[in-house]
Amino acid sequence: MSLYMIARRLGLTVSLLTTLVALLLTACGAAEPAAAPAKEEAAPAEQKAASTEPVDLNFVVWSYSIETIQDNISQFESQVPGVKVHLSDFSWNDYHDTLATRFTGNTPTEIAYSSDHWLQEWIAAGWIVPLDEHFPEVKDMVKDFAPYAVEGMTADGHIYGLPYYADMVVFMYNAALAEKAGITKAPETWEELTEHAQKIKEAGISEFPVYIPLKKDDPWTVEIFYSMVYSRGGKMFDENNNPVFNQPGSEAEKTLQWLHDAIFTQKIMDQSALEVSEPDVVKTMGAGQQVYTVLAKYNLAELNLGQHEQAGNFKLALMPGESHSTVGFVRFYALTKDAVAQGPEALQAAWKFLQYFGGPTDNEYKVVKRWALEKGLGFAQLPLYDDAEVAAAINKWGDVALEREQAKLARVKEGLTPWWGAWDIYARGQIHDAVLGTVTPQEALKNMADKWEELKEQ
Amino acid sequence: MTGQSAASRLQPSRLRLGRRVPNLYAWATILPVLILVAAFTLYPFGFAASVSLRKYILTQPNSHPFVGLRNFSQVIGDELFATSATNTLIFTLASVPLVTLLGLGVALLLNHPLRGFGVLRALVLLPWAIPLVSAGIMWKLILHGQFGALSGLLFQFGMIKDYIPWLSDPSLAMLSVVFAHLWREFPLPAILFLAGLQNIPPELYDAAKVDGAGVWARFWSVTLPLLRAPLLIIVIYETMIGIAVFDMIYVLTGGGPGSATTLISWFAYTATFKFLNLGQGAALSFIIAIALAVLIILYLRVLPTEEEATS
Repeated sequence: MSLYMIARRLGLTVSLLTTLVALLLTACGAAEPAAAPAKEEAAPAEQKAASTEPVDLNFVVWSYSIETIQDNISQFESQVPGVKVHLSDFSWNDYHDTLATRFTGNTPTEIAYSSDHWLQEWIAAGWIVPLDEHFPEVKDMVKDFAPYAVEGMTADGHIYGLPYYADMVVFMYNAALAEKAGITKAPETWEELTEHAQKIKEAGISEFPVYIPLKKDDPWTVEIFYSMVYSRGGKMFDENNNPVFNQPGSEAEKTLQWLHDAIFTQKIMDQSALEVSEPDVVKTMGAGQQVYTVLAKYNLAELNLGQHEQAGNFKLALMPGESHSTVGFVRFYALTKDAVAQGPEALQAAWKFLQYFGGPTDNEYKVVKRWALEKGLGFAQLPLYDDAEVAAAINKWGDVALEREQAKLARVKEGLTPWWGAWDIYARGQIHDAVLGTVTPQEALKNMADKWEELKEQ
Repeated sequence: MTGQSAASRLQPSRLRLGRRVPNLYAWATILPVLILVAAFTLYPFGFAASVSLRKYILTQPNSHPFVGLRNFSQVIGDELFATSATNTLIFTLASVPLVTLLGLGVALLLNHPLRGFGVLRALVLLPWAIPLVSAGIMWKLILHGQFGALSGLLFQFGMIKDYIPWLSDPSLAMLSVVFAHLWREFPLPAILFLAGLQNIPPELYDAAKVDGAGVWARFWSVTLPLLRAPLLIIVIYETMIGIAVFDMIYVLTGGGPGSATTLISWFAYTATFKFLNLGQGAALSFIIAIALAVLIILYLRVLPTEEEATS
């Protein structure tokens, strides 16, 4: 056999061996994620207890005040040794999509921020687990929480989390600028808001006095729309989750018409409202470009205490409209399927984490209170309303009495079902189309109702 | 039997063996790469094909029944399909010629051996080097309807009375997205055309001049035919990008206002990640892939070969 042939055969053998090794490596790599939890589940508890390895908790949040979260985590870790928390954050607008990918791809996630928006969807997908099934004591804990917040974390009689914060969508305005136009009180109805805004516009104080963010890819948009419908005394769905917003002359129709007219007829709201979300509105309101808006309440703290030209001039008012009602919502810490799959040690660590962040520690809601004091976030934990420090902090930028009054009128979002999340995406597009006038409000609402039925059938 | 005849009898079998062994050797050498390609391309492709034929909704994790082509018929029947397909067509028809022409124009300009053009060539690549998301955010700030830099500039020069809602007016939003895309995309065609221009022998231009050809005649008869290869690559590539563009839409408009900038890729994304309907998302992805394949074949047939062009 010539040297040439030997070299070729050797080359062939080496190549085949390489392929075989590559195949084996691929097979091992593919088996790893599935094998790891099985191995952990099989490991005896005592062996695990003896281990000096810290328990890893992967905690996923949307990007808001990450330094504060990181500091809370450090304090938790120093108080609960043996638990290491790994924080990941994603933009609020992309949060749902990112988490869907994360859960589907089995990226380790033991605790995640969630919202009443997605509760039923995530349960149906099997991504989160009922907290009370593993820790029944949570049922006693929620007795101290605002009912709308508990409702927002409950499905099929089970509680799925502890509140990160609970707040309301509220009406706020720049009292100083309104006063310049001779307006000394907040509008009682949406029609009165139109009159006030026109007065301010005519006085040359603001070209577009109203600025309500309605960005299509922002989950707040639908909550703001719901609030406007509720405030007129309207409903979106009945008790059996059937749409009622599409009935002729509904409050939803009036709301869409009002929004369209505000931009294109009265010209009291800038069309760019369709491309902005909360931070943009806070910036431009803070600079005095607009006077009236509808936002989550905690933004009032930023407007009055932040570095803004108009800081200190902003006031809370009851939502304009016949009923003054609004949306009360909850964002919460959810326990995921991974926390359970990782075994009892990880589950216990997750529970300690949840208690520290959303429940009482040494009879005090440490983290929740911190959010309320430093960022003005609302809370579901009612005993905090009796805390003098919290009340004083709120009164620096808001009005505790008025806030309580608005809270009494707050309602959860109607229609929260496994398909509500998908419907919300579609609804936002239709809200845009109706506001722009590419379809009539009635057509948009009919489309929204049809989509609801289509998704329900799926 | 003579030695010569024995050798001649052996020769064909040696030849056969010689052919077989190199074939085997070649296959064995590329096998590892083939496996990787299979793992990262063929398997996902097959999986997506399987998903597209099933009812695959993430909120129903335990039931993925085979539904045949129902996902395809459902997405094609969806009102958003017609809207997004039309928007995609408009976007592609506007962006491909514009990007190609701008790229060619810039390349022709940079092909002159003037002082400082070396730096300019590097600078031209800048938009292409900026990450897409950063570019999108930058354009968002430029085009913002409330505090955008473009409106600010026009306002300062007294050219407009009110800020223009570039991204919240349905007709302006599509124009804005095309413009931002054009800015981001033109450097690659410019560089490819420039490379093509520098490969054209100067003698051809000299000969054309001797024949009395003017600037336009030289461009049509020498430059353009010899740029056929980069032109083909650019047109195919930009069409693919135009049909599948996603990132700029994601950052700039989110498909809005309403559905004014909802392209088919955004529709596929929405079906998959927002509606969590993987079956319909996969079906839409296949529709996009088929459309791309058809267009590429069409281009290859329609665009003349170098010989045809030069003759």
